[in-house]
Order: sequence, then structure tokens, then C-alpha cells
Amino acid sequence: MSGSLLKLKDVQKDYRTYRFGRETGRINALNKLSFSVDRGQVFGFLGPNGAGKTTTIKCIVGILTCDKGNILIEGDDIEENRLHSKNKIGFLPEQVGLYGGLTPTETLKYYGGFYKLENEILKERGKDLLQKLGLDKDSERQVRGFSLGMRKRLALAVALLHEPEILILDEPTSGLDPRGVKALRAVLQELNEKGLTIILSSHVLSEIQEICTHIGIIDKGKLIRQDTIAGIREEVRKTAIKLSLRVKGFNDSNAKQLNKKRGVSIIEETDLGKHTRVLLKLKENLIPWVTDTLVSKGVKIFSIEPQTSSLEDVFLKETGDDND
Amino acid sequence: MIMTKLNDLLKRHETWRPLIIALSIIVVIAISHKIYWETTAETNPGKIWDGKTFSIVDLGEDENQIWRIKFNQEVDDKIVFKGVLETSPRNEVYQNFTTGGFIESEGLVYTEDLYGKTMLNVGGMRILVNGNLSGEFFESEIITIRAHLVENTTTFQNGPNNVTLIREGWEAEPEDIQLASDTDYYFFGTEVLILLFGTYLYLKNMRHLRNQLNLIWHLAKFEFKSGMKSSRMVILGLFFSLFIIGIGWVLGDMQGANPETSFFVENGNHALLQFCFFTFFVVSLAAIAVSVDAFHKERQTNTLNMLLARPITRESIVIGKALGLTMVVGVPAFVAQLIGLYLMILEGDIPAISGILAFLLFGQVMIFTMVTFQLCFAVAARSGTDVVIYGLGAWLLFAIVWNLLVYAISFVIGIELTEGFETNPEYQALASHLGLFNPGYVYQFAVGLLTHRTIAIDMGGIPGWLVLLALVLWPLTCLRASTWLFKREMKG
Repeated sequence: MSGSLLKLKDVQKDYRTYRFGRETGRINALNKLSFSVDRGQVFGFLGPNGAGKTTTIKCIVGILTCDKGNILIEGDDIEENRLHSKNKIGFLPEQVGLYGGLTPTETLKYYGGFYKLENEILKERGKDLLQKLGLDKDSERQVRGFSLGMRKRLALAVALLHEPEILILDEPTSGLDPRGVKALRAVLQELNEKGLTIILSSHVLSEIQEICTHIGIIDKGKLIRQDTIAGIREEVRKTAIKLSLRVKGFNDSNAKQLNKKRGVSIIEETDLGKHTRVLLKLKENLIPWVTDTLVSKGVKIFSIEPQTSSLEDVFLKETGDDND
Repeated sequence: MIMTKLNDLLKRHETWRPLIIALSIIVVIAISHKIYWETTAETNPGKIWDGKTFSIVDLGEDENQIWRIKFNQEVDDKIVFKGVLETSPRNEVYQNFTTGGFIESEGLVYTEDLYGKTMLNVGGMRILVNGNLSGEFFESEIITIRAHLVENTTTFQNGPNNVTLIREGWEAEPEDIQLASDTDYYFFGTEVLILLFGTYLYLKNMRHLRNQLNLIWHLAKFEFKSGMKSSRMVILGLFFSLFIIGIGWVLGDMQGANPETSFFVENGNHALLQFCFFTFFVVSLAAIAVSVDAFHKERQTNTLNMLLARPITRESIVIGKALGLTMVVGVPAFVAQLIGLYLMILEGDIPAISGILAFLLFGQVMIFTMVTFQLCFAVAARSGTDVVIYGLGAWLLFAIVWNLLVYAISFVIGIELTEGFETNPEYQALASHLGLFNPGYVYQFAVGLLTHRTIAIDMGGIPGWLVLLALVLWPLTCLRASTWLFKREMKG
């Protein structure tokens, strides 16, 4: 199946401050934010702290209302029928809140009660989810004794209980140990393979790179980039790569000459004793020019190591934090 | 211009339209109700009584005197008066009196033919009824009475003088008296029917009503179960249940106490009113205590966001929580009230059945009111400490220091707080009016009202229907305020 499952059009959101019930000020959180997520995508929502990721998610999930603009799910404005939209969304908040006095079974029964699910189906589905998420052995233990990883898995079970069309996760890996992250990633990939559309926000760039098929970068409440992960990598590759050289006899005049050349810049120069490590940022087609120039000036090159551009580079570049 | 604005308003609040229209019609009926009484009855009998003239025609030292009491109306005029029975007719029946004396306050001379007749005090107006009304009507009831002005002459000895009194006075037959509620019920009945119809259409307009009602019940049950398991509620519940049961027993026992002591309770109905106060005293504290965590703790533990992501409206969340928390306090309170009542009746009189039902039912309304009142703080407060402080402050105000507030206001507006001030009508009127702003007093007033046979009762200057209106408005206003505050959060 294809088609835009979720669409945000010029969404505007301000946070208000009140004093004695009167509005005293506003802080802009989302500024004409627009993006769309197609069915079956794993959409990574990336942005620095305070960029508006959680606000966007809260607006989609229905915890907040947007001031202007539209949020459409399958073409229907969520403001028109918020309850209907909520039935299509599964949500895992960053800070998982569960009632400590309940067992996982009771938790699922409570949250499942908000959907029109028959008791038998609810029981069966809950049992399956707990088994799938590795909580079946703890299904009758009180949640208050659970680790953060277990709580997140239980909250994920809650989010999946009503078989939503979109699963939205806000910083899903925060607070998890590497094993927990790996397990969560596996579950998400499995769910996506079964056709579930996933939106996840994170500032852990490697996570996005590992799981997502598509990416949206948000900064200061505005979407500044939306693409596929492969598309972004390709573009980075075309525009600039990093090259690490281990050389001998490299001096200031060599550095000046390299920096003078358009499309080449030295990011870092490290003295390794006998050798010097030079980290360059350059266009791929200029690599032969760099090596030829250095060799002609008597610089001995011991190793050339291209460094793959990561999502981090794109992120820093797009959010204006690229100081290189 | 106004119509355009009104149309815009109705368009903006389309769901509310039937209710707005219903309330508008009710306002029109209420105004018509008022106009009906103003045009068909004299609603200020005291003014006519005070307008009478008294003159003494002195014909000389050795002559007889002629006294004349005259009203502005013509003799044989008939007027329907509407007013409050200021005194109990039981105490106003002429019996065991000495004839021949002139009583200025009643404007007549005691004669033998007055035996068995009743001198009613209707809103300050004295009307002589040709019959014994003892047990027929009661103090504070609002009645209508068709009276006619008569003139008669009596002679009596006033010291050395023979006085001829030519008096005009208002007289009526027992069948000319009716409770005002006999007519009021038509108006109130129509208003209630219109309100119910408007509410029905309003609810019908609401989308997903049945589903939301199910979710409200789901949430309420969850709150109830969690609340009943909490150690705070176990301790509080035990404390207030024992208190209520104990007070019931004590109030029953006090009915047999020495009337001269301050521990004396007049009768079952009086005991029931005292019981209301003590029930409010502890139950309101419990209601506030269980509501403290409702939103604030959920926000802190992040369970609120989990809940908000479910397909339930914010209004339903507030109503569900309010209902659940009301049950947490209401169920044990109801049981304790029943046991307390049983012990009270065992030791003393049986209060009016309608009063008992009101005590139990309105008790739940009062708990719901206090819960929703506290929910406003729980939603709006920035910290847990704020919620507790505001809640305790409200409880102190309503349950402990309210009387001090009334005294202070009385003092400021110039009511003298000297001995016996509590029987001063001005003070009583102020206390009653201010009482409408205290859910505890509204509860007490409403139960007191229903210990009577009619709602056409004057309760220290406020009519019975206003008490019932306050009883309905209090929880609705608190509920609306808390949902409004909770919904405002969505704006961020």
C-alpha cells in the first residue's frame, strides 16, 4: 500500500504563559511546519533539543492542539474527528508513565478499555504482545519493580494493543542500555516489515540511521529537510567527503596551498610524532589533485582513509551547527 | 446587529444550541413567573400593613375616645397577598387570653369571638383567619391568601377612658389560603421539562456520546478501585466513617437532653441538619484529600500523557475522574451515613423521609461538588504543594472559618453584633445569602428545605428554589471550570 498516511500542513504552535488566568506571553514552538509520511515508512524525526519534535508529536497524538495549519491522517483533518484519529495512532512517550500498582496484564486491560475491543480479543492480543516483547514471565508482577527497559516494552505493548496504523515513538531509546536498544530496534523493524508505519523522534543520530527509511530534520519549529536516508547519504557523498591522511613532512605552506583550493578545507591537523594526521573536507573529484600536490611538494603519504559522511554531518550542516 | 451576533454565537457553539435555547426559554418563563406574581398578588404585604393610619379622636376629658385604624384601601376590597408566614400559625391561634385588651401590633381588641381564630403574620401583614390553622400551615412557608378589608367597631376600657375602636382589618377564610408552590410547581415543572428536553437534544448532538459515556465509566471504575486501595483513603475513610456514625448516635441521644443546655437538639429534622454539617465537615476534607493527586501526580509520573493519547476527550477524563473520586469518598460516606442515621433514629425522632433521602442523595452531590472544586486546583496548580495548600485553604474556609467571614462582613456593613444578633433578620438574610456560596451550607439548606412539605419556603430571606438551583449550579460550575482549565492546557 502507498499514499500519504500522515500530512502536516503549515502547522503553527505557540506555548502560552498565564498569570491569574490571563495570557501574558507566547513562545513559538512550531513555525509553519509541513511534512508528510507515507504508509510503510519508518520516518525519523530529527532535531536538536528544543527544535519542536515533542511538540509536533503531541500535536499529532492529540495531546496538544495546533494554533494554525492542518494535521491530516489519511486525508482527514484530525481536528474534525480527533477521537477517530486517536484510534489510528499508537504512542510511546519519551517518559513512560505506568501505574506502579498494576501488573502488565492489568495495565493492558486498563488501556485496552479505551478502545472498542472485546474482552477476549483484548486478552489474546495482550498475551501475544507480552510474549513478543519478552514480558510474558513478568505479566503478573507489579510494574513498580520493573526496569526502564521493561517499562518501555510494556508501554510499547500498550501502544500496539489496538493495532494502530501509525506508531509514534518519542525518543524511544533514551535511557535504554545497548541491549535494550538492540531489542527495541529489532521489534520496530519486525513491525515495519508487517506494514506498520513508524514515526520516531530522536537526537541519537545513529539510531535514526539504523532504523529509518526516511528522515525529517526540524529546527526552530520548522522542517528544514525531508528525504530518504539513502538520498541524503548520496547527496553528502556528492557534495563533500572527509579524507584522513597520514603524512610526513607536512608543513604550513602545504596547508595554505590546500586551503587555497576551492572545495578543499582542512578540518583538523594532529601531530602523531613522526607523522601528521590531516583531516580534510573536500569534493570527491579533488582527491587526485590533493595527493598529486602533496607528493609534488615532497610530502610522503603513508595512508589515505576516506571517512564516510554520517547523518551527523547532514544534521549539523542543516541545523547550522557545522563549524568545520 | 444583536441578532447577527446572536446567530454567530449560536453557529460557533452549535452543539450547545439546544441548551442555550432551552436556558433562554427558561429565563423568559422565570421572568413571566415573577411578573405573574407581581400582577396577580400583592407580594409586599408588609408595605400595606405599614401604610395604615392610626388616629385618636379625643372628645374631651369626660368624653369617650374614638380610635381609628384605617388602611389606604376601600372597605370590602379584596387582595391576594403572597408572603412568608413569619410566625408559626400554631402559636397564633386565639385561645386562653384575657378579653378587653387592645393589642397594637395586631390592631384589634381581644374579644370572645376571636376564640379559635388565627391571626396570621404574612410578611409583616396581620390577617385574621376565621378558623384554626394550627397544623395546617407552618412557619416560613410562602403562602397566598385572598383577604378582604373589613371594618368593625369595638369598645373597650383604656384606663379611665371608654374607647371606641373603629378598625379596619384584613380577614380571610381558611379555604382562601394556599401554598404558593401550588402555582409555582406549574412554572418550575415547565422549566424542568424544557431543561430536560434541551439537555436531551444537546446530548443527542454530541458525537460519540455513548462511547464517551462508556469510557467515563471505565475511567471512573479505575479511579474508584485505585482510590479504595490507597492507604490515604483507608485511613481517612475509617476516620470519617467512625466520625459520621458517632455523630449520628450523639445527635440521636441529644434529642433527649435537657432543653436548657446547649447539647439539646429539638427534633429529628433539627438533628438531621446538624448531621449535614458534621458530614460535610469530614467528608469535604476526604474529598479534597483524594482529589489532590488526580492530575498533578499523573502529570509528574507521566501517566497523564499516556491517558491523553487514548480516544477519550478531555471533558470525559475530568468527568470520569470526578465520578471515580466521588465514589471513593461517596460509597463509604453513604454507608456511614446510613448507619449514623439508624443510630440517630434509634435514639431520637424520625426526621422527614424526604429529608433523609435528601441527606443521602445531596450528600453525594456535595461530595461531587467538593471533588470537582478541588480538581480545578489540581488541574491549574503548578506544584503538589500548591494543590494541597489551596485545597486545605478551601476546606478551612468552607468548614471552619465561614462564620467568622459572615461576622466580619456583617460588621463591615453595619449589622450590630450584639447579644442575640443571630436572630436579627438582617443578619439571617446576610448569612443565608452568603451561605449559597458555601457548598456545605447549600447542602444543609437543601436538606433543611426537603424536611418541609413544599419548596415554597423562605430560608432566612432566600426562597427554596434558589437553594435547589445553587445545589445544581455548584457541581456544574466546578465541573465546567475544571474541564475548561484542563482543555486550556491543550492550547499549550
